[in-house]
Amino acid sequence: MRDNALLNQQQHDTELLNLLPKAMKDDPTAEKLASFLDKISYKKIPTSSFSRMWLLGSLHTKVTAGYLAYWLKSRFADEDKKNRLKNEAHLAAALQLFGTMGYLRGAVLKVGQALANLPELLPDQFAEILDSLHFEAPAMHYSMIREVFLDEFGAEPEQLFAKFERKAFAAASLGQVHRATLHTGEEVAVKIQYPNIAQTIQADVRSLRLLLQTLRFSDQWASLHAKLEDIEQVLLQEADYLREANFYQQAAEMFSNPDEKIIVPKVFIEFTRQRVLTTEYLQGVHLQEFLAQEPTQAQRDAFCHLLNISSLRPYYQRKWCIADPHAGNFIFMPDGCLGLIDFGCIRVLNDEEWRLNCELEQAVIEDDEAKFEQILAKASYFDSPADMSAEHLALLKKFSLWAFAPWKAKGALNFGEKDFYLNGMDCFIELMRKGYTQGDPVYLWSNRFILGYRVMAYRLRGSAVLSTIFQQERPFRYPH
Amino acid sequence: MRISQQAKQENRNKILTVAKELFITKGFEDTTTRDVAQATGMATGTLFNYFPSKETLAMHIVRKALQQGYEDYKNRKTGEENLSEELYLFIFSGLRKLQPYHSFLGPVFERSLSPFPRKTLCVEGEATKKNQLHAVSRIIHSHGFDMSENTMISIMYWSVYLGILAFWVNDESPKQQESHAFIDYALHFFVHAISGTEPQLRNE
Repeated sequence: MRDNALLNQQQHDTELLNLLPKAMKDDPTAEKLASFLDKISYKKIPTSSFSRMWLLGSLHTKVTAGYLAYWLKSRFADEDKKNRLKNEAHLAAALQLFGTMGYLRGAVLKVGQALANLPELLPDQFAEILDSLHFEAPAMHYSMIREVFLDEFGAEPEQLFAKFERKAFAAASLGQVHRATLHTGEEVAVKIQYPNIAQTIQADVRSLRLLLQTLRFSDQWASLHAKLEDIEQVLLQEADYLREANFYQQAAEMFSNPDEKIIVPKVFIEFTRQRVLTTEYLQGVHLQEFLAQEPTQAQRDAFCHLLNISSLRPYYQRKWCIADPHAGNFIFMPDGCLGLIDFGCIRVLNDEEWRLNCELEQAVIEDDEAKFEQILAKASYFDSPADMSAEHLALLKKFSLWAFAPWKAKGALNFGEKDFYLNGMDCFIELMRKGYTQGDPVYLWSNRFILGYRVMAYRLRGSAVLSTIFQQERPFRYPH
Repeated sequence: MRISQQAKQENRNKILTVAKELFITKGFEDTTTRDVAQATGMATGTLFNYFPSKETLAMHIVRKALQQGYEDYKNRKTGEENLSEELYLFIFSGLRKLQPYHSFLGPVFERSLSPFPRKTLCVEGEATKKNQLHAVSRIIHSHGFDMSENTMISIMYWSVYLGILAFWVNDESPKQQESHAFIDYALHFFVHAISGTEPQLRNE
């Protein structure tokens, strides 16, 4: 058993090293960093549930820590040796702190592309990692669930429901999901939040802000600071299940026509509180299981079509940026319907952000290059495109054109085409590697929105005719 | 003048009701035995016939609440709990009954349950400790472990429990949510220490 564990550990080490950026492996100081990372990764604390919270236990978490280290280190690359060493000492302390943060690792994972670089990853690995970028709250046993219910409803689960399964059937961001049956007979999914998560998020973001203090004199500090504020806000909103229930209800209004085959489960508001969310249970499977059934191309295309509608309608009708689209949030139902089961991480664009996005979209559609460049510069906190380096501007344009490619595609666009997918991912990764991350915090979420859906559609290997979807979903037309 | 058992019990109950109210409104430190006696309408000396000190009086309230919590725990227990889960249920059932007194229990616990050497022991505090350890010993025994009096496990449990009480009385988070997470941690730690087993995880 022990040998197996050791073997697994070694495999993990190798995988981790393979995943780490090459530059980090070649750089002698990075070796020190890697060994430090290694040391804190295996700091042993007695129980497994502890390890989930306190150790850099999973491969993905280790990779993220690695990227965080790499990203922080790259900020110091141009400094002299003395300063670099000083900064590396800060970095070691930062990583130590990072290793002890209960939930922040999840937060960093969630916004991985903004706070930690993801360079040198193969697109498939990127897809896999992006898919697992969510908060991992520790498991709750049933006695704890009962206490949450007593706090929230003043009643035990058995009193509220005709049947309540003691074991969770799925992990959720910030908690876990149990199946239950209402006294009226409906099958429901009950999402329960781990106690005190909102306060923990606040404490962790405070710690992160502190550990990033070493960057306070850098030119990106203001942008980073604004992003942290935004991240904290969105994560805290995600911890409010009453807010999520409201998003569910709005989404249900948007997708009320059953012929459209997009299903938003009904919320049972009388069984919902700030930390408990009860929704209709949807029969079906997640993406991986759906793909394992070897679906036909027609089935893949049909779901790809639904996936696009499910993202674009909330965007155009309610200015929603669904900021955490991953496989766990979609149900592929047996009757060909697509179930949408998570509305926790939604960033609603404000008027200014919306106006800028619309202008950008219009500039792309109308091939107005000057306007396009001007808006990109503004979004990246530059006065004009002339203030940006040629490389920065070129990369940003390339990525934005890729993001908007479906808007301009004629006929069906094959999202499963590797070249198309690679084109965008490479470009995004390059932007991150070069440190071209300065910009309005909203792009943290819109990037996740775009990348998340692209990853899903790529894995689905589906095609969709976007022009029809835009015609149907976009409530306005641009003058041409 | 001799008074009947019934009258004695009535006086006792009256003192307890008044004391709870005063402790909650004025705080434990700022309430004197004289305040309690006055509000009850009896002489301070008479009050001492019922409760020899303010600490004993407060700890009596605590002991009774924990007893009710123990009854709740027995009713709520399903028999499917693992050790840490059952201890969690036991401890929280007690804390729920203590909840109405949360605001004044800090100094009460400090004076009556402190594990450090003290000139005088609080009788009610000692009785509370004995009851708690007895109940926990039964729980632990039912899971195949032994926790006899004054063994290392018993000392460890009591230390963990005092830590939990200290955390809980200081917990100002809404509905003492921080305590939920802390107690879960503390109990996993304790159970692992005594059993050497790892609790089952959600995804395993």
